[in-house]
Amino acid sequence: MAASKAVEVEVTGRRLRLSNLDKVLYPEAGFTKAEVLDYYARIAPVMVPHLAGRALTFKRYPDGVDGPSFFEKRCPGHRPDWVPTAIGPSSGKPGGGTKGDTVPYCVIEETAALVWAANLAALELHAPMACASDLETPRAVVFDLDPGPPAALRECAVVGLAIRDVLAELGLEVLAKASGSKGLQLYVPLNTPATHEEASQFALAIGQLLERAHPDLVLTAMKRELRPGKIFVDWSQNSRHKTTIAPYSLRARPRPTVSTPVSWDEVAEAAEGGRELRFEAPDVVARVEEVGDLFAPLLTLRQVLPEAVAG
Amino acid sequence: MARPIWSGTISFGLVSIPVKLYNAVARKSVSFNQLDARTGARIRMKKTSAADGSDVPEDQIVKGYEISKDRYVVVEPEELDALDPAATRTIDLEDFVDLAEIDPIYYDSPYYLAPDKGAAKPYALLTRAMEESGKVGIARFVMRTKQYLAAIRVADGHLVLSTMVYADEVVDPASIEGLQAAEEVELSERELTMARQLIESLTAPFEPERYHDEYRERVLDLIERKAAGEEIAAPAPEPAAARVVDLMAALEASVRDAKAARGRHPSAAAEAAADGAVDEAADTGEGEPGDDKAADRDGARGGTRRRSKAGASAGAAKAAPARKRKSA
Repeated sequence: MAASKAVEVEVTGRRLRLSNLDKVLYPEAGFTKAEVLDYYARIAPVMVPHLAGRALTFKRYPDGVDGPSFFEKRCPGHRPDWVPTAIGPSSGKPGGGTKGDTVPYCVIEETAALVWAANLAALELHAPMACASDLETPRAVVFDLDPGPPAALRECAVVGLAIRDVLAELGLEVLAKASGSKGLQLYVPLNTPATHEEASQFALAIGQLLERAHPDLVLTAMKRELRPGKIFVDWSQNSRHKTTIAPYSLRARPRPTVSTPVSWDEVAEAAEGGRELRFEAPDVVARVEEVGDLFAPLLTLRQVLPEAVAG
Repeated sequence: MARPIWSGTISFGLVSIPVKLYNAVARKSVSFNQLDARTGARIRMKKTSAADGSDVPEDQIVKGYEISKDRYVVVEPEELDALDPAATRTIDLEDFVDLAEIDPIYYDSPYYLAPDKGAAKPYALLTRAMEESGKVGIARFVMRTKQYLAAIRVADGHLVLSTMVYADEVVDPASIEGLQAAEEVELSERELTMARQLIESLTAPFEPERYHDEYRERVLDLIERKAAGEEIAAPAPEPAAARVVDLMAALEASVRDAKAARGRHPSAAAEAAADGAVDEAADTGEGEPGDDKAADRDGARGGTRRRSKAGASAGAAKAAPARKRKSA
């Protein structure tokens, strides 16, 4: 067997061995593993704060986006000793196995750890809403807007704006990000005491409000079937054990698109069909240099969910 | 000489054919024993009580089935014995089906069926008849108190029996995360065409001799060298890189190459990958004897056309990326 090329590098004082740098992980785009590592190394300053303290789930694509992939919750045993772990929200399927809630997840606290994960071809990083230090308290409410074709991102943007307007009535600020796949995700920063149950119920209530106002466009019922032309407001992402694609994570799509925070002006443009809200890794690095981290308020803005929601 | 692991008769209508069953596969994974590093003595497992750590004598160990967490039903050996299937020593051929009808997921372990003394003629008769009909026999038999479902087919003029898993042992794919999502995906004709072309370009005759358990070979090699007294320092998992460099410096060249490859023309990256594959196939030095053998065997079976050596080697080169992709 020919030896795979490996290179030993130093990242902020940590030593890492990187392998197969020239391997193409996104065949359609010809985007290589080196470019994936380069992206994560460059985006780390804004991305790591959104990962820090959280029990992360890796979605690994050892053979690139066209090959098989797997979710990895348990942090690999061969991790460097400076990559910390934390007990995460899930052990597996309810009723399956008796091991209990003791799976140690990887926690990424620095650039080197992000590069290490990327070197495992963990293209996608999924994070829970809660930090590992307090698994019962979500730090934000998330609305995952998922379009059923022929609806697309444009329709998501329309629904996203409607949700923003409803939340504004309640005095709540909300942030938007392109999922990097097909949809749009909205985050309501909390950073105050709340439970997953409250967050879920709140998101469901807002979703149902929208569903009543736009029955032709909005759907909140969870169904496996396709929802042609409708936007599914997935409120269940607020469950304790669910994870959502992390801000600035690459997606395993044909091209190296990124889950990218966007401004409401951009969402409004998208709703009018003037913008795609589709960002590939190199664009995102340039964009962040220009506009900074649009998701910064997610970590600091303190908001309280209203006691009861109309509807 | 291989030894039979079972003997009995194939029962087929009114005909009985005495046969012996031989393992068709000898697994070769390397197994280790646990030793005390201080003395080299073997480690012995002691059976202890989870409650207080005391030793449990062999005659006090019973079988318990966990019906819910920490709740067990104890089953006595006699109770199980009463349920054992009668050791009938017959392989009852119940149905004949087309080979293609059986999903390979059902196959468990393969065995050779050989005629017992004096049974060569009825064995040959059954073999020939099955070969001509192109059918596979579905049979049931009992081996070591377990009842097996089996498929009996003809391969190179002899009978091969594969034990099979039962339908209710096959995991429902609906329970696998991700399989559902794959069904909902929409594909464009262009994507499909590209995928088909890729498959076509990687299509090669299946030559099992070409694939080796390289890990096992390396482990055995290490053991042999150690046993011969060679001092072996634990090798680095991969050849050590020459020096430690800054991350961005290390990535720079690779990123530049990738961009340049895209700049040349759209399929440049794919071609570069193919070039690499040819090099690697050449490196492995997997030679032509294997190819020859495979071609001869096919010829003997009479089914497939004989391939030229050149064709087979080109196939080997093309197939290399499929194997290579295993390492991230």
